Amino acid sequence: MAQQVIFFILAIIIATFSILAVTSKQIIRSATYLLFVLLATAGLYLLLGYNYLFAVQIAVYAGGVMVLFIFAILLTNRPGENIKTELPVRRIAAGITVIGGLAFCAHIIYWNIKRVGELVSQADISPVKLGHTMLGTGKYEYLLPFEVISILLLACIVGAIMIARKR
Amino acid sequence: MDSVSKYFSGLFTGIGSLLKGMSVTWKELWTPKVTRQYPENRETLVVSDRFRAELVMPHDANNEHACTACGICQMNCPNGTIVVTSQIIETEDGKKKKILDTHQWDLGMCTFCNLCVITCPSDAIKFDNNFENAVFTRSKLIQKLNAEGSKLREKKKEEKPTAEAKPVIEVKAPVADAKPVVEKEVIAKVKPEEPKAEKE
Amino acid sequence: MILNYSQPLELDGVSKALDTSLSALPDFWRILIECVLVGVVILTTYAVIALILIYAERKITAFFQARYGPNRVGKWGLLQSVADTIKILLKEIIRINNVDRFLFFAAPFFMVCASVMTFGAIAFGKGLLAVDFNIGVLYVTAVSSLGIIGVLLAGWSSNNKYSMIGAMRSGAQFVSYELSAGFALMTIVVLTGTMQFSEMIEKQQYCWNIFNGHISSMIAFVIYIISGHAETNRGPFDLPEAESELTAGYHTEYSGIQFGFYYLAEYLNMFIIAGIATTVFLGGYMPIQVHGWEGFNQVMNYIPSYVWFFSKTGVLIFLSLWVRWSFPRLRIDQLLALEWKYLLPINLVNIVVMVILVLTGLTLTDLFPSLF
Repeated sequence: MAQQVIFFILAIIIATFSILAVTSKQIIRSATYLLFVLLATAGLYLLLGYNYLFAVQIAVYAGGVMVLFIFAILLTNRPGENIKTELPVRRIAAGITVIGGLAFCAHIIYWNIKRVGELVSQADISPVKLGHTMLGTGKYEYLLPFEVISILLLACIVGAIMIARKR
Repeated sequence: MDSVSKYFSGLFTGIGSLLKGMSVTWKELWTPKVTRQYPENRETLVVSDRFRAELVMPHDANNEHACTACGICQMNCPNGTIVVTSQIIETEDGKKKKILDTHQWDLGMCTFCNLCVITCPSDAIKFDNNFENAVFTRSKLIQKLNAEGSKLREKKKEEKPTAEAKPVIEVKAPVADAKPVVEKEVIAKVKPEEPKAEKE
Repeated sequence: MILNYSQPLELDGVSKALDTSLSALPDFWRILIECVLVGVVILTTYAVIALILIYAERKITAFFQARYGPNRVGKWGLLQSVADTIKILLKEIIRINNVDRFLFFAAPFFMVCASVMTFGAIAFGKGLLAVDFNIGVLYVTAVSSLGIIGVLLAGWSSNNKYSMIGAMRSGAQFVSYELSAGFALMTIVVLTGTMQFSEMIEKQQYCWNIFNGHISSMIAFVIYIISGHAETNRGPFDLPEAESELTAGYHTEYSGIQFGFYYLAEYLNMFIIAGIATTVFLGGYMPIQVHGWEGFNQVMNYIPSYVWFFSKTGVLIFLSLWVRWSFPRLRIDQLLALEWKYLLPINLVNIVVMVILVLTGLTLTDLFPSLF
């Protein structure tokens, strides 16, 4: 019962602020609303008992990505200005994209809804097990994807240095 | 190689100087504190003699002052702080004489420039150290300096006591400097104070 | 490891007694009541610690500057911070024209929420731990990073160039130093092999982590303290609010309780950094104990664990103030050079050294198992 109440609160927060994030006309406000969405998502993870995922969600998305987002927005020309309404063609295109995305997500959710029950039961994995899973080479262990992602990030860093360095 | 050694030597000298700085502040933490706790130390409070807090007109035991109501202080005051009112009376031997009626000073307008004290030909006014002058109404800032029923000190007769009274009032030193008309005896008594006053 | 000495003054009995007395109630109500109680206790402790810290800071600062500090309100000025609180609560919250009102009002809450959430994870004593995540260290680093959003939003929404510059500086500073703070904590995670605070503390019964990993731990400790100060905009790193250049930095436009939130969060962040450093490096609430000296251990255990925690934290807070009043404020380029040229490379080397120490068995507990 308590879990249900908290879930509904979080769900309402996520839904409201997602809509606000895309409808807001000021980019910095959009970013803030998005931040609320990410925080509420972290709350959902906590509710499920995924402590690690919760901390990562906060550290990476809320604390890392959003700070950089806001930072980048602050460096843009006029972050506080209201965005002008776009042309009707673009609006229609955006609407179609939204419907497509919604359909895609609904499809995934519909076909995977039954598996949620199984996943929840595996909650509260110890960090040691998590580490072994991420850096192991056996079955259901993910060293290769982990390293591939780290190479991707390395490439990003090198690219950033290339752009930023003095000629 | 040079830059590498520079990096490490910079690092360690940096740490060294930080520690040195911290040792300095650590010593400072234990130094005795010299702040004076004002309202508690009223009894032992030391205020410099030259501090100008309040204009006063010294009166002697016979309720006599030295103000001749010449009005020089009023003329010299840059702010119009002083208002001297006088009246003409007729003495017993039929001479007309100007005597002081009120010597009014407005604390609220005074800048404590000391010009009135310097220019006073008869050393009738001075600044003293009583600095607790806060009042609740502005009208109280306007003060009458001559006491009720006081009169001018007779010049010839009172010469001696004035001279003796003077050295006690050390503030007078610059006044003596600016006023060469004073009798030699007075100057002689005041002189030793002069260099000190100038040094300060 | 269970301490089998008598500890008459511990508070963990209180929470256990409360739990058993509430067990008659249905689960929902029990959890609700306990959550509310824990919340109230944490918020009260938060406010009280802030009051004490403000007083202590002003007093110690004064002594460093050869003054007496507040000494008028109450004996030795003890009630000064209470008076300040009343003043700040009564002050008007000024509504400023042309600010983004929603963000302007939301920003202080980010700051204070992040600080309270981190505060909740600190182990104040035996059994005085609100939440014991198995990822405690990660949780603390994650949640404390939320505060910076409050600073950035405050700077932007104030519509004031000083606030903006202050916020940008603070952002750059925080993002940089969060990295080394995280790495320094990770070094100790390598040493202890756990991220859970309670477990970490119990492992330090005889040998604190700062001694256990000797060279590596010491370096990590120093780096953590430095980057902790920088993260909380204190000490010589307070250039986001450099009053000589930026009036008050990001909280220039705030007044009343909104400013109070920033003020509170700043002081509590200082406490949190000191508290986490205590937990991770200095044995948390564990008393000083020596292997084999039963009488000594018994005496030390009579001192309750929360006293140990607060005294260790107090020493670190004093260190923070000492540093603060010793060094001049850094320039922004010096600040970033310190992080990216010195702390981060040293930290990366340090974490490798720590891995080697642990793997080759060169930590003190491995070298002298009879002593620790």
